[in-house]
Amino acid sequence: MIQESDDVIVKAVARLLVPFIVVYALYVVMHGHYSPGGGFQGGVILAASFVLLGVSHGLEKTRRRMSEKAARVVSSIGVLLYGGIGALCLILGGNYLDYAKLGKILRVTPAEARSLGILGVEIGVALAVMAVMCTVFFAIFTAEESPEDYRSVE
Amino acid sequence: MEVTLLLESTDNAFRVMERAREHAVGLLDTAVQFTAEQTRFRQEKRGQLLFTGTQKRKTQFQNIVGTTIILLAFWMLLSGKFDAFHLTLGVICCALTAYLFHDLLFANVRVGDMRVIAARFIAYIPWLIEQIILANIHVASLVLRRKMPIDPQIVKFKTKLETDISCVTLANSITLTPGTITMDIKDGVFYVHALSQKVANELNAGDMEDRVAHIFMEADHLYVEDVLDAARIYQTLRT
Repeated sequence: MIQESDDVIVKAVARLLVPFIVVYALYVVMHGHYSPGGGFQGGVILAASFVLLGVSHGLEKTRRRMSEKAARVVSSIGVLLYGGIGALCLILGGNYLDYAKLGKILRVTPAEARSLGILGVEIGVALAVMAVMCTVFFAIFTAEESPEDYRSVE
Repeated sequence: MEVTLLLESTDNAFRVMERAREHAVGLLDTAVQFTAEQTRFRQEKRGQLLFTGTQKRKTQFQNIVGTTIILLAFWMLLSGKFDAFHLTLGVICCALTAYLFHDLLFANVRVGDMRVIAARFIAYIPWLIEQIILANIHVASLVLRRKMPIDPQIVKFKTKLETDISCVTLANSITLTPGTITMDIKDGVFYVHALSQKVANELNAGDMEDRVAHIFMEADHLYVEDVLDAARIYQTLRT
């Protein structure tokens, strides 16, 4: 269990930086099909912002924004988004993740449909990666305080 | 007969007009007094709010809007694409982030106007750069001399800064100037490693601390509080 840091500098700088890290991560995700980056990288940066918050402000305050339960739900939503877009393309008569077929639903040209489809998939990947990274972080840093949870899982 | 009647009626008319004028003047007087009192009351209240440092807490909505605007500027700096699609994405992302993290950016804003603080901070940067250049020359002269007359020591001083953000600004300014490094801040006491006696003396003089206090309007706040106290004492003496 990480306690709240007693260093004023670390706490203040972390509190000022976290919103900018989150926006940077979202930028990396949203511009993934134009420039370097994408779902995985953006998701890792998003998770890093939560880790920074956890290390500097303690786990309690981090749990208020992203609890273990929420992380589990968000990771499922991410995978569902990825799989759902892929399956939608199958239903519309293309291959798995054949985004051009999405143009029929979105009423845009196949090229634009590809762009939007990749964006949707990348958001899904980012959500899943972020949530799983947060889960790993929580699991590592709360392991010693609640070993009985793991026994009950077994 | 008719003349006296006429005179009487004119007299009456004059009397009525006189009374009406008196009424009007009285009404105007009270109105003037009322507005004067109102403005004075409002000014006093505003002054107290401004001076005592108990400025009204910003609402959550204001925080969210402020954070969104700042983050949107950052987004545009990163993105560089200004078509409708990317701008919409940016607004959505920034609003979402601001909603989730609205209490972080403006956590400990205690007193003062954000615009004044920003202007003073920008005015502080050239002075800081000048200090960094001077300290660079000093440290280089120390190191390049054959005897290398350094005198490493840890300076400990109690700060008068109150908010975390002003402490961090001071600590980072100290670390940025060569020859001094902030090691720790514990309960308002700075532990600074200084390379020579000259640098340590400059630290103890507290020039940088005063300037940082000036940026975040903490010096003003203390000064004005003293003035307010004096005014209160004067008032009690007079009554």
